[in-house]
Amino acid sequence: MKSKFKRKLSFADAINEAQVQAMKLDKNVFILGQGVEKGAMVFNTNKNIEKKFGSKRIFDTPNSEQAETSFAAGAANAGLRPILIHQRVDFMVFSFEQIVNWISLWSFKSSGKCKMPLVIRAIIGRGWGQGPQHSKTLHTFFSYLPGIKVVMPSSPSEAKGQLLSSIMSNDPVIFLEYRALYNSSEHVPKEPYFLDLSSPRHRLKGKDLTVVSMGASTLTVLKAAKELSKINIKVDLFDLRELSNFKMKNIFSSVKKTKKILVVEDGWKNFGIGSEIISKISESGIKLAKPARRINWPNSHVPMSSVLENKFYFDHNKVIKSCLELCKKK
Amino acid sequence: MKKKEKIKLYESLFYIREVQEQLIKKYRQGNKMRCPMHFCIGQEMLPAVLRQLIDKKDSLFCGHRSHGYYLSKNGPLNQLFAEFYGKKTGVSGGMSGSQEMMLEKINFYSGALLSGSFAMSIGDAFSKKYNGKKNLSVAIIGDGGMDEGISYEVINMAVMMKLPVLFICENNLYSTQTHMRERNKNLNIYKKLLPYGIKTSFINSNNPEKCFLKIKNIIKDIKSSNRPVFLEVMTYRFNAHVGPESDDHYNYRSNKEINSWKKKDPLNFYKNKLIKEIKDFENINMLIKKKIKNKINNAFKYAEQSKFPNSFEKFNYQNTYSKKVKNFYNNQIPFDEKQEEHKPKASSPY
Repeated sequence: MKSKFKRKLSFADAINEAQVQAMKLDKNVFILGQGVEKGAMVFNTNKNIEKKFGSKRIFDTPNSEQAETSFAAGAANAGLRPILIHQRVDFMVFSFEQIVNWISLWSFKSSGKCKMPLVIRAIIGRGWGQGPQHSKTLHTFFSYLPGIKVVMPSSPSEAKGQLLSSIMSNDPVIFLEYRALYNSSEHVPKEPYFLDLSSPRHRLKGKDLTVVSMGASTLTVLKAAKELSKINIKVDLFDLRELSNFKMKNIFSSVKKTKKILVVEDGWKNFGIGSEIISKISESGIKLAKPARRINWPNSHVPMSSVLENKFYFDHNKVIKSCLELCKKK
Repeated sequence: MKKKEKIKLYESLFYIREVQEQLIKKYRQGNKMRCPMHFCIGQEMLPAVLRQLIDKKDSLFCGHRSHGYYLSKNGPLNQLFAEFYGKKTGVSGGMSGSQEMMLEKINFYSGALLSGSFAMSIGDAFSKKYNGKKNLSVAIIGDGGMDEGISYEVINMAVMMKLPVLFICENNLYSTQTHMRERNKNLNIYKKLLPYGIKTSFINSNNPEKCFLKIKNIIKDIKSSNRPVFLEVMTYRFNAHVGPESDDHYNYRSNKEINSWKKKDPLNFYKNKLIKEIKDFENINMLIKKKIKNKINNAFKYAEQSKFPNSFEKFNYQNTYSKKVKNFYNNQIPFDEKQEEHKPKASSPY
């Protein structure tokens, strides 16, 4: 059993492998989007797919995000499993109408008789000097909407299993890939595997405080937790998979034990996933020893200048500081 | 056209008209149909013709003025009326009402927001091509929907990808109450599409037989060439944009215009034509009327007697997976804390 854990893959390669395996498992899976089989192959996530499966199953489209989305929706309704890719989530905004008025309510308005098994992959978040139109996350926009699953993996092993689950899901999934994660690497099992999207992964076990994170912020918290463990502060870390719906059971039991909660989320603070988690904890009646905390981006668009960029994003030091403050005795 | 085809065409025209008129009559009685309805009196020609020309396996995508097209796909009348009453037995189980209906078993899909359903047809047509099926997708839009940019994106994609779609624009001159000329420099939509490299066709006649023959040829062409065609059909709605009462008191269209179109009423025109052409038409017509009125009465009864739905939340998600998914990895296997930590390369900002 152990041998299969030995191989390491990058986040990009894990996504590539998930797509290849899904396409082998089901002939109805195909990929479309702008430049998806050209140049950098969407951060290398699509490399060799055209060679393996031909241009019938992966193809370029005009710059028509709305039509692409309707195309995917029509194909999904007819039984195919399209994967539509936007090289930046900002382009997906063109297709708000298709996502909000059609895709999200397709199952609902047929009283559950029609399925919409499509995946929209979109690249989000911090890159290098990407500025305000290339680095948004927009994850809460879509999490607010009934009928859509919003999924955000934090690492290669998560990305592979979550993407396979998303492709095989009979609901529409928006799959958000944090740009800074592509080069990260981790042990990833070789065979196809599926993850339960609504169960957050219990990343670290600790008794001192509960931290919830998602996507790239999980990586930041892991880095902070390593430092904290040196001074004997143990973090209980939950990594969300599906942002639109996640089981709170284990988070509740953790908070009952630690009485402290910190949510770390790459994205704007107002109306975020952090707001949702803290509300849920508050509604549950669990008594906290210290006021709940959130670490987010400022409520501002993202500046390009590298100096301001460094100011804008948080790093593991900020997480460490918050954790120390939460754990301080009076 | 054969006599049988002509009678069937007349029957379809009458069927669609009569359903509209009876719904209008009953709409305010007891206020039991509590959803906005876009009737299609005056615009029956196209759905009546399509009823005869498209196959059950061909898909049809249309907008909010959908009753005629639901009937052209031979959707069951009982379920249609039950949907208007908000009943569990309705087309969409009472979730959608008149303007959002869909019934997958007859490949009928509609929705209120002008261009969205029209646009989905290209993905549907792609699936037919992908699976080597010979059927086509029919996409219907109004002149209002053709003001939206996505319509042109979709036509471009269908041309580039050689998809078997029959795009039809029913041009009734008005987007709600705003005339074409207030919205467009070019009043002929098909002319705007010529540079896209799509075959276009134009019908400016309320003669259902002319329409029948033209669409018959177009469908043949699409099936043999596997290329899309765009057809614009001039038409006119006699009823209000929405609801059973007239909206002509808003004075958005002239009496002269309304009367000129009413003189060209496709149902009257065709009835008079067949009276001249077919000897025993009066008798045939009587039987048709009786049969359809019966059917309509039964559908009202069915709708009245059906039960209301009692849940809605569960329809938002399927929460199911493809059969390829046998089981999920337990959270801890293969992932545990001993697993090597996530290590980004130096080039990453992390």
